[in-house]
Amino acid sequence: MVAERKGAFGIGGAILFVLAGLGIALALYRFATGLGSVTNLNQGYPWGLWIGFDILAGIALAAGGFVVGGLMHMFGGEKYEPLVRPTILTALLGYLLFIVALLVDLGRPWTIWHMIIMWHHESPMFEVGWCVMLYTTILLVEFLPVVFERFHMTRLHKLWKYSAPWIAIALLTLFAVALTQSVAWVIVIAAVLILFQLSVEVGAIYRDPKIPTLLLMAAIIFSTLHQSSLGTLFLMVPHKLHVIWYSPLLPVFFLVSAVATGLAMTIFESILSARFFGRKVETDLLRGVGRFLSWAIICYLGLRGVDLIVRGVGSELLVRTPQCAAFWVEIVVGSLIPLAILLTPELVKSATWLFSASVMVVVGLIVNRLNVAWVGISSRYEVAYYPHWMEIAITVGLVSAGVLVFVLVCRYFPIFSEERSPTGAR
Amino acid sequence: MAVHALLIDTVRCTGCRGCQVACKQWNKRAAEKTEFFGGPGYQNPADLSKDTWCLVTYNEVQIGDRFEWVFGKKQCMHCQIPGCASACPVGALEKLDSGPVIYHKDKCIGCRYCMLACPFVVPRFEYDSWNPYITKCTMCYDRLQMGEIPACAKACPTGSVTFGERDALIREAKERIASNPSEYHHHIYGLEEAGGTCVLHISNVPFEELGYITDVPKQPLAARTELAMKSIPAVMVGLAVVLGASYRLRTRAQLRGEDAERPSPTT
Repeated sequence: MVAERKGAFGIGGAILFVLAGLGIALALYRFATGLGSVTNLNQGYPWGLWIGFDILAGIALAAGGFVVGGLMHMFGGEKYEPLVRPTILTALLGYLLFIVALLVDLGRPWTIWHMIIMWHHESPMFEVGWCVMLYTTILLVEFLPVVFERFHMTRLHKLWKYSAPWIAIALLTLFAVALTQSVAWVIVIAAVLILFQLSVEVGAIYRDPKIPTLLLMAAIIFSTLHQSSLGTLFLMVPHKLHVIWYSPLLPVFFLVSAVATGLAMTIFESILSARFFGRKVETDLLRGVGRFLSWAIICYLGLRGVDLIVRGVGSELLVRTPQCAAFWVEIVVGSLIPLAILLTPELVKSATWLFSASVMVVVGLIVNRLNVAWVGISSRYEVAYYPHWMEIAITVGLVSAGVLVFVLVCRYFPIFSEERSPTGAR
Repeated sequence: MAVHALLIDTVRCTGCRGCQVACKQWNKRAAEKTEFFGGPGYQNPADLSKDTWCLVTYNEVQIGDRFEWVFGKKQCMHCQIPGCASACPVGALEKLDSGPVIYHKDKCIGCRYCMLACPFVVPRFEYDSWNPYITKCTMCYDRLQMGEIPACAKACPTGSVTFGERDALIREAKERIASNPSEYHHHIYGLEEAGGTCVLHISNVPFEELGYITDVPKQPLAARTELAMKSIPAVMVGLAVVLGASYRLRTRAQLRGEDAERPSPTT
């Protein structure tokens, strides 16, 4: 056997290339002929696999960018610093991938810019669109230092440090203008942000030497808003969404499960990329992330349990319907088993068990989002919806392309901690 | 401003489909290749589509010991507070004060959230086009602007489709039910459904027998998302203050350390 360089594409890479190529070809075919030729979507079921998996699940899977890079950092988790760059990269690629997937799903994707100038702030979709647009910009700004380091652009890096917080303030204020259309709110929001940044400038608040704090705050604010608003989308359909999932707390569930999944993805991806690139697994750090993950799962289970009891849905959970079965898969695989693993001290010591737990959380999240977007939706329309094989192939192709790009970027840019020179500007 | 509406009285309907044809002619919708008995009984076509905005449905209903045809009318209900218009991210669907819910095709991005939000499953999407739009009944908004009444109401020979002011039509519907209580089912479909609609139906049989969706919420759908949407600015300010304050508290030590290293020029 030929000695393979670590991080090189083997047979797996070839398969990914083929899948990505097939997906892209089918997507082009879809643009030429319309959605009807590649999907089973119909007049009663306008949303299907793409909304459930590519968009709802995809965005939650990319939540690591704000959970690790944001929350942990804000609340004193400096030791998790080595995980920040990989998660920001995953998030950035995840959101770019999501935007591509959205373009495939939209009927008239070349008009997507309408959302920028045709404001309708009452619509949850408008809010999600704006948040994603602005948060992707924030992620790009967060990622720029990697590029600066790679090409030794010290002056630009310095400029970035001073301008990034003001970019964050501008984006947050713009968002407030579009979503509230209230002068009072805009002034309050802008005032709080500017006051914070001015305090940093005059030295009343400590200036983080690595990353402007406001950038992280913007990431957290935008993420909190759109992760939850993806749930708000479905508050509009009390008549179509199954009672197990239709809860006024749906936005909160979406947010908390996204936080949990962001953590799980961080573990998943660290272990996987460590193996792939032949680095040492950061077991201690990941065990810490696992502790946060177990808390997130406990919060989620508690909230969902109380919600189901208060709404009196208990009896719906023990009937033999596909919806009920899908609910239990989501809870048992996505929450109960991983929680049991994470709370067993003997098991969390092993990277394999940590990995399994995080994979299960991710699978549970995907099942949950598919349940909300597809399994739990009933439109009283004669024709049911099941994904067409081409819908699945396009989704698989997009994910494959995402993985390939991730590997390429990791190989050519300083993403992982030991590859960064200790003297380099940070 | 007067709110325009349509009153559909299935008791007076003979199933002639004059409204269906008039709708197609006025709105220049293409003919569809259909199949006889492709839908329930003599109903043709089977469903609303991008080319059929108004459809007479044929329902064989048992009344006493006989089976009778009872005809329903499928079209946009023109909700008072429409879910589709609340859902649309670019404001392509608009509720006019005068009643109709109209569609600005040049704004639409094709996300199909309106279709999901509509409790009556009315908007139709052109799945077979590379440049697809949403289509649905507009209450003949263009005719209203010229002082004409909607094509379906104009064509109806039996007075089964009546155009008028919503309040007046509600009074009329109540009167018809009150004056013939044994003939009519005592419910005005559209009075409260989805917070009230501008197309009202009365019938001699319960509406589920006509295939109408009867468990539509009584409040407007936008009422369900209102709280989540209104709390956005509060969440923004709250998060900014909490995150800012916690960061300030957490980095007190570093701040002091920094001051000690290079004292500020004023001291």
